[in-house]
Formats: sequence, structure tokens, C-alpha cells
Amino acid sequence: MNTALTITGLTKKYDNFTLDNISFSVPSGSIVGLIGENGAGKSTTVNSILGLIKKDGGKITILGQDIDDLDYTVKEKVGVVFDGSNFSEELTPIKLSKVLRDIYSSWDQSYFNDLLSQLDIPAAKKIKTFSKGMKMKLSIAAAFAHHPHLLILDEATSGLDPVVRDDILDMFLEFVQDEEHSILVSSHITSDLEKVADYIVFIHEGKMIFCMPKDELLERYGIIKCGAAQFDAVDKNDIVAYRKQDYEWQILVADREKAAKKYPKAMVIPAAIDEIMLLYVKGVN
Amino acid sequence: MKGLIRNNFYSMENNIKISFILALFTAIVSFFVKHDAFIQMIIAMQLCIFIVNVGTSLHADVVSKWNKFELTLPVKYNDVIKAKYISFSMLILFGIFMGSITVIYAYVTSVFSNVQSIFYGYEFGLTLSATTAGIMYPLMLKIGTEKNEMIIILSAIAAVGLQVLLSAVLTPLTGEMNMKHPLVGTVSAAAALAIFVCSYFVSVKIYRHKEFY
Repeated sequence: MNTALTITGLTKKYDNFTLDNISFSVPSGSIVGLIGENGAGKSTTVNSILGLIKKDGGKITILGQDIDDLDYTVKEKVGVVFDGSNFSEELTPIKLSKVLRDIYSSWDQSYFNDLLSQLDIPAAKKIKTFSKGMKMKLSIAAAFAHHPHLLILDEATSGLDPVVRDDILDMFLEFVQDEEHSILVSSHITSDLEKVADYIVFIHEGKMIFCMPKDELLERYGIIKCGAAQFDAVDKNDIVAYRKQDYEWQILVADREKAAKKYPKAMVIPAAIDEIMLLYVKGVN
Repeated sequence: MKGLIRNNFYSMENNIKISFILALFTAIVSFFVKHDAFIQMIIAMQLCIFIVNVGTSLHADVVSKWNKFELTLPVKYNDVIKAKYISFSMLILFGIFMGSITVIYAYVTSVFSNVQSIFYGYEFGLTLSATTAGIMYPLMLKIGTEKNEMIIILSAIAAVGLQVLLSAVLTPLTGEMNMKHPLVGTVSAAAALAIFVCSYFVSVKIYRHKEFY
């Protein structure tokens, strides 16, 4: 399987935070969701991939090329969307397209115009008059309009209403249909990733907790909901994380079926991505 | 790089328009105040009036995260800085153009008693604008744009300081400490251009080591 992006042993040290030995890849034709609480290291990972911050260790390759020697041709094939607006606020979408078509040789003006209409973005209004959601839509349209092979999005769906978010997610799904395009999307809106992601990478306090196919994650992981007596009876080796809420204990297990067989009297339910994240972050590991 | 320059001008468009209006206004004022010293100052002011927009524009780029986003575009680091310096140079050229309106009028109406007066206006304006841009941009790259107004003022003070310093250094050649001496004007303008050129290389170095969060 070809990979659009490979990260091996990425490390970045700050005085009070370390992104520690992150490794994962984005296979071609897939959407990889990067999840984690605020300050977990998602943006540091994305910024390192884009070369915006200097990594202290590890290797990153984009479309087969090391980011330390990244050239124009590869950058042409990468679309980037950050949280909020990416562009000078004094510009209008029309002026922005004039700027970007001078920069991207693959800029597709008619496609950009189509996207503006599809996403209801006023072409002649200044960006500074746009709402946050409108700015995000414009950033996404600009990222799509030069036909990238890899899209890297940092919190790109935040600030969008559910209807627009759904439209954008559909665009993502359509984008990866031909197996040549890939997306890395960091988001704290795990429901979005549950809908579109093929793989989930979970980063917590700078460390990668897991990287696995989303379907496998949702099939395998489970939550045991039980009382104190049942909690004491659970084999501690089966517990990934747990937390107590009022009179109920929630135990995250990595093998739902096995747990259901082993503890027939306990209620073992499927775990959603946000529940897994919550138990890892707020529970006891 | 064309796109980057275009973006710089689009983001400063409103301020440039205001600068043109102000420069035109000062040119018109010079029609009525026919005095050598005053017209010299108007020419100098017209040369600087465009460059003061840069601070606001750079700060806006930081707020909108364009300065971070442009690094993800298929452009070289050097080109980002080069585009900025080409834009600054064009702003100074706008100033020279507007100064020329004043000069042409003064020439036609024979306001100037000598040509050297015209040169001094240009030289002082060039010293101020090139030094200000040359100091301001790397400084903003290094410490941020939040205090852009203060950085512009400090850069402008440094530009005047440069001319004062050079007039002092050149006293043996000029006979007295005279900022308006032709030699001081010429050497100051040349020094300002040298600062501007050196500033490009300093900015490239700062930019290469800068991290964007």
C-alpha cells in the first residue's frame, strides 16, 4: 500500500511539553483522524509535518519526499487548512484566487468558483466580514481548488454548523474515492472522525496512545459499566482505563467480546471514540 | 513570488490609497507654501508616507495567520522575504513618484532656489524610509508585531539618528556638523540603502530559524 505521509519517531521538546516519538502513516486513499485533548500535541504534530516548527527528532516524508528537502512539486500537491482564516483579511475571495493562481500552477479557477457557489461564499466580500464558519469554508475551497493529493487539516471543521460540517465531510469522502488522495485531519470533534476517518491516531500528553483502523477500534473497544463489587472482581490486566461516576464505574476494555464472555453479569457496551478519549484522558490508566 | 507580492499589495490596498491621498494633499499644500525648506520636508514626507503602512500590514498577516500559511505554499523561504522587500521597494518608489509631483511643480513655478534643495528632500526621505523598513521588518520578525507602532517609531528615530551620526562623523569633510550638507545627504542615503539590503539577509536568517505555531 502506498503512503501519502509517513511519520517515524517524531519528537519535539519544549520546556514544559514534549511530543514524544510519534509514528504513524497516512495510506493513500484514506482519511486519518488525529485526536486528543487540547494541548495533547495535535497541532505540534501538524506544524512539524508542515515544517513550520523544527522537529528535534524523527523523520517525516510527504508523498515520498523527506520534509527537510521538500520541493515545490510536492508542496503543490499538499493542501493545508488551519483553524480559522488563513488569508489576509483585507482580501476578497476573488482577490485571493488571483493570489493563489499566481502561486499554484495547478490552480483551477472554475473549480474554485464552483466551490464558492456550492459553499455559499460571497466572492466579492472582504474576508474580514466573514463569520468563522465562512472563513473555514473559504479555506477549504482554496485547499481543494489546486487539486492536492494530500490534504492536511488542523481543526478544520470547528466553527461550522452541523449542516455545513456534513457537506464538508462529504467532500472529504468524495476526495479520497479515487485512492490517490489522502487526508490527515486533526479534530476534537470526534463524531466527525467517526463518520469519515479510516484510521484514528490518538495522542495524549504528547504521547501516541494508539493508531488503528477506526472500524477495528469501534469493534474491539468496549466499556464495562458496573458497581463497586463488580469493579473489584475485574481482572486489572483487562482494564485499559477506568473512572468512577457517582455510583457507577466505567471500565474501558480493549477487547469487548472477551470482556462480555469473561464478565457475563456486567454490562459491556460498545465505546464511541469520544468515550475512549474521555476515559484515557480523565480516567485512571 | 508574483502571488506573494500581489497578496502584500492587496492586504495594504486601503492604506496605500490613504497614503496616496495624503501625499497628494501635501503636494497641493506645497503649491501654496513656496519655501525651500518646507518643500524639502514635503518631499521627504512623501517618500516615507507609504512605508509606515508596513507595520499594520505585517501585524494583520500575523493575526490572520497568513504569515504561517504562506510557508505551506509552493514557494521558497527566500521568496517570501524577497516578496516583502520588493513590496517595500515599490512603496518607496510610490513615495518617489509622489515626491516628483511636488518637484515638477516647484520646477515649473521656479520655487526652488537651487537643485540641491530637491536632492536633499529625496535623500532625507530615502534615508528615513529605507532605514525604517530595513530595521523594522527583521525586528518584527524577531520579536513579533504586537508593538508594531512602537517599532516603527523606534526605527524612524534610528533613521534620524543615523543621519545625525553621519553628519558628526563627516564634520572633518563638511567643515561643520550640518545635516543638510550635500555629502551628508548622499552618504546617509547610501548608508540607508546598504542597511536595507543587509536587512534582507538578516531577515532571511531570522525567518529560517523562526517557528510558527
